Amino acid sequence: MADPTVPLRVGIADDALLLREGISKVLEGGGIEVVASVGTGQELLDVIDELDLDAAVLDIRMPPSFRDEGIVALEQMRANGSKIGVLLLSMYATPEYALRVMGAGSGTGYLLKERVSEPQTLVRAIETVASGGSVVDPEVVEQLVHRTRADDPLSRLTERERSVLELMAQGYSNGGIAQTLFLGLKTVETHVRSILQKLDLEESPEHHRRVLAVLTLLGER
Amino acid sequence: MAPGRKGRIIKRTIVITAAAVLSLGMEVSGWLVTSATAPEYLPEVSYSTLHSIVPLVFLACAGVAWSIGPARVPSQLMVAFAVLWIPVTFFRVVEDIGWLWPLLYGIHLWWGLIAGIIVLVYPRGWFGDRMDRWIAGIALASALVYFLAVVLLLEAPDADTCDCVANVFQIADAPALYTAIDYGFRGIGAVLALVIAGRLLVRWVRGSVPARTVAFLMPLALFAWAVTLAWYAVTYAVQTTADEVMRTISLVAIVSLPVSFVAGLAHARNMRARVADLMRITREGADRGLWAESLARTLRDASVRVYWWDEEHGRYADASGEQLEGDPADQVGQHSLLPVVSPTGIPIALIRHDKVLTDNMRLLDGVSSALRLSVDNGRLRSEIERTLEQVRQSRSRIVEGAEKARRQLERDLHDGAQQHLVSLGMRLRLAANQARDRGVEPLGVELDGTISMLNTALKELRELAHGIHPSLLTSGGLALAVPELAGRCPVPVVVEVQAEGRLPAVVESTAYFVVAEALANVAKHSKATRAWVRANLDERGVLDLVVRDNGVGGASPAGSGMVGISDRVDAVDGTITIESPPGAGTTITVRIPLASAG
Repeated sequence: MADPTVPLRVGIADDALLLREGISKVLEGGGIEVVASVGTGQELLDVIDELDLDAAVLDIRMPPSFRDEGIVALEQMRANGSKIGVLLLSMYATPEYALRVMGAGSGTGYLLKERVSEPQTLVRAIETVASGGSVVDPEVVEQLVHRTRADDPLSRLTERERSVLELMAQGYSNGGIAQTLFLGLKTVETHVRSILQKLDLEESPEHHRRVLAVLTLLGER
Repeated sequence: MAPGRKGRIIKRTIVITAAAVLSLGMEVSGWLVTSATAPEYLPEVSYSTLHSIVPLVFLACAGVAWSIGPARVPSQLMVAFAVLWIPVTFFRVVEDIGWLWPLLYGIHLWWGLIAGIIVLVYPRGWFGDRMDRWIAGIALASALVYFLAVVLLLEAPDADTCDCVANVFQIADAPALYTAIDYGFRGIGAVLALVIAGRLLVRWVRGSVPARTVAFLMPLALFAWAVTLAWYAVTYAVQTTADEVMRTISLVAIVSLPVSFVAGLAHARNMRARVADLMRITREGADRGLWAESLARTLRDASVRVYWWDEEHGRYADASGEQLEGDPADQVGQHSLLPVVSPTGIPIALIRHDKVLTDNMRLLDGVSSALRLSVDNGRLRSEIERTLEQVRQSRSRIVEGAEKARRQLERDLHDGAQQHLVSLGMRLRLAANQARDRGVEPLGVELDGTISMLNTALKELRELAHGIHPSLLTSGGLALAVPELAGRCPVPVVVEVQAEGRLPAVVESTAYFVVAEALANVAKHSKATRAWVRANLDERGVLDLVVRDNGVGGASPAGSGMVGISDRVDAVDGTITIESPPGAGTTITVRIPLASAG
C-alpha cells in the first residue's frame, strides 16, 4: 500500500494542542506529512476521505466523554470500510484496550504517549500500521506476560521462546524479531512454530491475527 | 429483686406478724382468764372466734394493701386497727394493774376512729377534701377527750368488764361527767360514721360510671357498719345488752371494711393494667381518634375527651378538629382537666375526665405518661429519622464528592502534568537530536539520560494516577477494570464479572476499591495460591460481589483496610460480610443496591 518514495499522509486527533504539535513535529522530522491536526476523533472522521490519509494518530481519551473516543473512532473507520493505518496513543498501558484495538482489524497499533520521545518508534509504528501491520506497546506486553496465572501455559516456553513471544505480541514480524534478537530468520521461524504449538495456537497467514491471538492468549491466561 | 425491696418485705412481714401475735395474745389470754375468774361473763365461743378473726382479716388486708396500694397510710392504719382491737375480756387479764388498764380502756374504742379514717382515706391513701379533714379532726378530738375522761375520771369500769383495781391516775370522782363524756363520745362516733357513710353513698349515687366502679363495695360496707354502730350507741345509751345477732352483723360489717378497701385497690390496679393496653396502642402508633376511644374504654368513662395541642393555632382541639371553647377552667363542672405536658414544657394535650378519676392519681399518671411517651416517641422517631436521613444524604454526598474529586484529580493529572511531561520528553528528544546533528555528542548523551529519568517519573505518575482513579473504570466499567485489577495481583485470580452495561459511578468505584483492597490483602497476608472474584447484578438491582481466596484465613474485619472498605460500602447503603475462619481462606461478600446510589 505504501510507496516508500511518497511521504505518508497522516492525520492527528488529540485534544491536547501541545502534544498534537509535538507529534506533528516528530512525524515531520521522520519524513511523514501531517495533513490534518484536530481535537476530536469525529473531526478526523469527517476529513478522512477528503484528505486521502494513509494513517491516523488518535488519542484514546478525547472529548466529549474523555473515555475511549479514539478507539470508537477507529471502530467507526473500520465500520465505514476505511483500511488506513490507525495508531492509538494512551497515557496508560491498558491490555484491555490493546486487545480491543487489535480486535478492530489489521493496520492498527497501540502505544503509550510517552513514546513520542522516541521518534523512531513512533515513525516506525506509523509505517507499520500504514502497511497493514500491528503494533503493541512493549509495556502492555510486559504487563500481560507478567500476569500470574495458575497452570500458566507460558511456563512451558523456554527463555528464548518467551522473548520471541513478547516481540510477536508487540506486532513484530518474524524478520523484525530476527533483527531485534540478532537471530537468523530460520531460527525465529522455528521458535515461532514451537511457541504456537506449545500454546495451542494456529499459524495464521495474516500477520495481525497472529498478534491478536497471542494477545488474547496472554490476556485470557 | 433489689435488696432494698426485699428488706422492706421482711420488715412488713415482721410488723404484721407481731401485730397478729399481739392481737391473738390479748384474745386468748382474755378468754382464758375470763373463763377462770368470771365464767358468767364469758362470751360465746362463736362470737369470740369471729371477734378474733376481725384483726387477722385487717392484718391480711394490710399486707395486700401494702403491696398493691398507692400509699402506705391505709395499711398502717389497718395494722393500728388490729392492735387497738382490744377484746373486753382482756381487761380481766390486766385488772390488777392500776396504771395499765385505764390507759388501755382509754383507747379500747379507738378502733372505731381508725376504721372511720380508713374509709375517709379511701382510695387515695389520704384525705380528699376539707370536709374529710374536719370529720377526722372531730373524731380524733373526741377520742382524745374520751381517753382523758377514762384516765382521769373513771375509777373502774362496770363489773361486766372487770373487777379492776382503782385507777391510779384518777383525779376526781365525777361519774356523771364521765358518763356524759362516754355517751357523747359514742354518740359522736355513731353520727360521724353515719355522715361518712352518707357522704360516700351520696357520692356513689350521684357519681358517674367510673366513680361507681371505683368504689362500689366501700359505701355498702361502711353503711352497714355505721348502722350497727348507731344501733350500738342507742342500745348502750338505754343500757340494754346488745343482742347477739346485731353484734355479729356489726363484726361482719367491720370485717368487710378492709376487704372492700383492698378490693377497690385491686380494681384500680386492674385499671392501671389497662393503661398498659393503652401503652401498647400508643406504641402501635394509633391515630388520635382511636387513642381517645381507647382511653375512654380504659378509664370506663365515656365522657372522656382528649383535646390535642395545636401548635400552629396555639389552642387545644379534639381529634375531629373541634376546639375547646373558652377557658377550660369554666367547663369543668363534673369533670377535671388533666394537662399533659412534654418534659421540655411543650403542651401535648388536655384530657377532660370524670372528677372521680382524680382519686386515682396513679391511673391518670399512667395515662398521661402513655400519652407523653407516645408523643415523645413520635417526636423522637421523626427527629431521628430526619437526622438519619440528613446524615445518609450528607454521607452519600461526601462519598460522591470524594469519588468525583478522585476522578477530577486523575483527569487533571492526565490532562495536565502527564501531558506536559510527555511533551517535555518530546522536546528533550528533539533537543538531543539537534545536539547530535551539531556534533555535541556529550549533550546528546546527557539529554538521553534526562529523557529516561523523565520516563521513569512518568511511569510512577501513571501508577499514581491509576491508583487515584483507574481510567479503565471510567471508560470500561467493572467488566474491564476488575480483570485488569486481577491481572496486577501476584496471586492468580479467576475473574467472573457479569454486570451488563454500566452501573452508577459510585457503585462501580466502591466495588472496584473493595476488590482492590481485598486483592491487596490476598497478596499481602493470605498466602493463597488462588483467588476468585465474582461480580454479578441480580434481578432486584443489587450488585453482588464476592472475593474469595484459598489462603490461611483469620483476616480481621478491624484491619484498617477492611474498615475503610466497610465504610465505603456502608456509605452506599451496601452490606459487607467477612468470613475468615483460620485455615479456611477468606470470603468477602459485598452487596450494593444500585437504587440508593446517586
